[in-house]
Amino acid sequence: MKTNNLIQSYINTHPQNQQYKSNKAAKDFDINKELSNRTFIKPLPSNGKLLKKGLFDGPSELAKDFKYDVKAFGKAVKGKANDHELGRLNDVGMKLGGLAIATYLFTKKQTSQAKLFEFIGLTSFFAAMDIWPKLFLQLPAYLIHGVNVRQQYEDSFGRKKMFYQDHQFIPWDLYSDKEINKIGDKLNVPKDIPNRREFIQEKMRKIALQNNTMWMLTSGFAAPIMSALICNGLEKPVEKYLYNRKEAQTKNLLANFNQEAAKYDYSERIEGLKSVLDTHKGQPLSETVVKDVESVLTKGLNPSLAEAVKFDLAKDLDYKSAYSINGDTIDELRNVLKSHFEAVKLPDDELDKIIPNRDVIAENFRNAGIMDAQTPEFSNHTKVINNLLEQNIKNYLGDNPDTKLAKRLEFILMNINHSAQTSQKTPLEQVFEARPAKILSEGLINKLTSINDIIVKFAANTNVLAKYAHEQVGQAEHTLLADVWNNTSDDIMKALKFTPDEISKGKLDREFAGAVLRNKIETITSDKQLFDSFLNDMRTIFVKMYSKTSGMSVDNDNNLYKSLVSTTFDNVKNDLMPHNMGKTIETLWGYDNSNRASLKQAYLDFVADRITGVRSSFYRFLELNNLYYKVSHLEGLGAVLDDKMLREVKEELVELAKSTLLEGHTSDFAVKFAQRRNLNPEVTDTSQIEVKEGKVVNRYLNNVPNGEKVEVPHDKNYFSKVMNMMFGGDIHPDIENKFKNEAFFDDYKAFRRTVLEKLGGEKYFAFPHVLLDGKEYWATSFERFNKLGSAPDEFIFKLFNNKFNSKTWLSKFGKLGAGVAGVTLISQFFFGKMKAPQVNKEAG
Amino acid sequence: MILPIRNYNENINFKANKSNVAQEAEFDKDTLLKNNLSTRARIGLDKVTKAFTIYPAKGITGSINSNFYEFLTMGTMPYLVGSATLMAVFNSANKYFNHNAKFKASQLGNKMALGVLFYGLFKEMSKSFVNLPVRLRTGIDTEIPYAKVNYLLQNSPEDYNLTSIEYHKVGESVDFPRWDQLYGNPQKGESLNFRYDKIAKKIGLGENLKDSDQDVKPVYKEVLVKSKLAKSISSFLWAATGVALAFQDSWSNYFNVATFKFWKGRDFTDSIKAFGKSFVEASKSLWNGGADAVTKFEKHSGKALIGVAALSTVLGVLNTLNLSKKPNKCATGEKVLDPKKESVVG
Repeated sequence: MKTNNLIQSYINTHPQNQQYKSNKAAKDFDINKELSNRTFIKPLPSNGKLLKKGLFDGPSELAKDFKYDVKAFGKAVKGKANDHELGRLNDVGMKLGGLAIATYLFTKKQTSQAKLFEFIGLTSFFAAMDIWPKLFLQLPAYLIHGVNVRQQYEDSFGRKKMFYQDHQFIPWDLYSDKEINKIGDKLNVPKDIPNRREFIQEKMRKIALQNNTMWMLTSGFAAPIMSALICNGLEKPVEKYLYNRKEAQTKNLLANFNQEAAKYDYSERIEGLKSVLDTHKGQPLSETVVKDVESVLTKGLNPSLAEAVKFDLAKDLDYKSAYSINGDTIDELRNVLKSHFEAVKLPDDELDKIIPNRDVIAENFRNAGIMDAQTPEFSNHTKVINNLLEQNIKNYLGDNPDTKLAKRLEFILMNINHSAQTSQKTPLEQVFEARPAKILSEGLINKLTSINDIIVKFAANTNVLAKYAHEQVGQAEHTLLADVWNNTSDDIMKALKFTPDEISKGKLDREFAGAVLRNKIETITSDKQLFDSFLNDMRTIFVKMYSKTSGMSVDNDNNLYKSLVSTTFDNVKNDLMPHNMGKTIETLWGYDNSNRASLKQAYLDFVADRITGVRSSFYRFLELNNLYYKVSHLEGLGAVLDDKMLREVKEELVELAKSTLLEGHTSDFAVKFAQRRNLNPEVTDTSQIEVKEGKVVNRYLNNVPNGEKVEVPHDKNYFSKVMNMMFGGDIHPDIENKFKNEAFFDDYKAFRRTVLEKLGGEKYFAFPHVLLDGKEYWATSFERFNKLGSAPDEFIFKLFNNKFNSKTWLSKFGKLGAGVAGVTLISQFFFGKMKAPQVNKEAG
Repeated sequence: MILPIRNYNENINFKANKSNVAQEAEFDKDTLLKNNLSTRARIGLDKVTKAFTIYPAKGITGSINSNFYEFLTMGTMPYLVGSATLMAVFNSANKYFNHNAKFKASQLGNKMALGVLFYGLFKEMSKSFVNLPVRLRTGIDTEIPYAKVNYLLQNSPEDYNLTSIEYHKVGESVDFPRWDQLYGNPQKGESLNFRYDKIAKKIGLGENLKDSDQDVKPVYKEVLVKSKLAKSISSFLWAATGVALAFQDSWSNYFNVATFKFWKGRDFTDSIKAFGKSFVEASKSLWNGGADAVTKFEKHSGKALIGVAALSTVLGVLNTLNLSKKPNKCATGEKVLDPKKESVVG
């Protein structure tokens, strides 16, 4: 039949109209058999199955899903994907977008930690979205009800779907009666009710629906908070991991020093110099050539080193010391003269009478012995030219008595010999100086090339050293020293056990922070048992801090950085020696190995000073405890608070020492402390001060209004005593016994001694005699600043702020997260409530 | 051929019903809606309202009538609540901080909040970059909505005539597009296939086709699949571009004067102006890498992000417009039936 043929043809040629042939069609299914016996026609048997995947199936599932997504993408591009595939591709798009955000923000962040956290943030967010329903809904629902509310199944076409996705179409046939009854038992469904399976299914559906709804209600709160909490929790481990990684990387920098240096590409610089030298080879040096050469040689060098290199090469590149006078000079000279005399507009033959010809000039130069000469000055040449011109002009005027050009010719002659502006050369000088005698010779080229090679090698080596030094101790986020500082500070903060109220008060400003810290230390030091425990913490903290910083320190002769600095600078010195680069060597290396103004020393000092600054700050905190402990128990103060000292003065002195050690800056030491004191103290009382719970019970200190007190700046004994009280005398035996076996103890003692001398022995012009025990100790202001370290109240103020901020945030969102989690978990007990149908009595 | 039910309603009235007549169900059968701003806004509002009220109430009580549509619509809730929570995570604790810390934390918090906002905005807006050219070139509106009347199960024997309205899109499912919604109503003087005719003409299948619906459907389906793919990939990349834009430092100028107090005329105007200016500056900064950019990576990452997003849209649109489904042809390429003539088969 015609129509049937047409339809058949249509079906055969249009794949989309053909019957879908599932790969998973039942093997024993025979369509002809089914059609021949229409009585038994029924829906195709389901080939779907419930997915029962465990934790260990994760990787294989991930690979399977990835393969599915790639295939789906291919199909979607051709316009053949189905809803399920498009749904998965939407998720792929979301993850791609997330990755794009993280990658972009990665480029905007400066530190490895910040960069890494862009991806951790992204991953944690997706993880939180995934984990939340599994951990807070699926798991409790399974434990309480025995129902897996996030059960997945694979449909007949191999597509993975959620079993309870659409509550109007749940493929219950995938559960066997046995499985359903087992779940029913867990759900405490009576065994003998009518339609038990339907009842259990409805109960399961209800529990799943309620959980799905709860998921939607809570995940908006839960996912961002959970993600933030995950990031928060990962901060320390990631920091530790990055610290170890950076430590290993920086060690490798030095271990593979030559290979690392070779990574710096200076070929452009080498080629640049070669190009300049090749272009001007054999030619006289000029200002341009010299500038080009200097520019290449000093590019990227420390300014003082660049100046030294220029200084050393000045003799070799001196193009001004002598100029060549030869035939070319005479030609150029005549051109210049012509250009000037053209102004009078004489015919060429007339002009030739005025401007001496080439031979005449040459002969006159020769007669004067100044032809083919190399000379730095041209008075004789100028004189010869002037004489010739004057003579020619005179002749010309004699031949042409009626000419009106006499004045103009004289004027031109004058112009040739004078410059237009003060700093300018005369036209004649400009001609004579056009040919410097110095030639860019082969020898000079070789020398410049060698020096460049030396500098290049040196620059590459110092780049590695500088990179190492920066990563180790640089003043930037997450250098190793910065991490040591942060960790030590955090540990001290923990050891001090501040209450939330103290933190809340201390974060307000530095003065509040100082008061809170002072009170805390007074409390701890007043209790010997408590202080002993605190010292144990301090010992652990300081041992760790010292050990970490010792690895970086250049005090140790075995330090690889130190030896590589020495080798690098020694080598460059030796390499430059044959080239007479004295000033450069001096800048790099100094007069001798002890010269502290050299660049070599700067490389060592940078590391040493940074470590000193950090250690000093912590030692000062330790010293604060030493002083407060001594005062709390009035032990070890006899040398300062002796029997002859007035009680009121003692009170003033202790207060000044305690507050200065807590808050003082180098400027306070420099001006010998500004304290208002009572000029008429009670002279009859020389008793010892009284201390209660770590605090001095002042008998006199606050009796006189502050307004009636005055500064007593000339009291040199008082100054010495305050200094000795803070940093002098012995360390309290309890502290010494605790620390004496530790490696940092000697360093701590050295800190006390140095600060005492260098800050106490600073001469102040206003009171030059106010010195520690009358002795002056010289130090730079930087050295004093670095030795004294941070004021404890300042660094604790910053810590209070950090602690308060993170605690506030954590408390706010931790509570919210816990609330959401609690409600979600508790709600589980209210899910799946259904009234069971009547027990089937017939069955019973 | 099974004739479709006529169901295109052009007279949707969005005004409040002031009559005394009791409010009846808005739709008595599945009804195609116009794809315009007001319809989209109304549908959006309806969905958001129900996502926060009726659907969770039904779901949490385990209603027998809860369905996949309601579950999907409830997905709006974590999206909106999550956005607000994400903003709060970076902002709400800042008020307790000291001035300096507050200033620094707010700088990041503001960027985060703007980023969340721009994420959603750019994601939704970028879909037009695909929809518009596809609609102009093929005449296929992949986003055309319809109201579905859903008949509910009885909760109790007293319940009768229970319906609910769901808002779907004709092309929501590529497996089962609602072809019936695209037919015209001959009783209203519309040609049965007038929408299919328009598409057929636009995509070059010809005019006055006898069965334009049959010719257009495969093409329509292909366009649906390809445009969905294009939107799935490109919209999230544009969303990422939105976040990157929000993270430019130029926005600090806006945040310094930002206010939503529209009743304070001058301040509000200044705020709007600052927003515009910051938007331009931020766009430039995103493109150029900003003043702090040093490495090539830093300088060109913004360009790369914009480029990838734009490229995904362009490729997606080109792929969508590159139609592979041909009109009826037999294996030899000859037309079995002339689509412009009536054919009798049997």
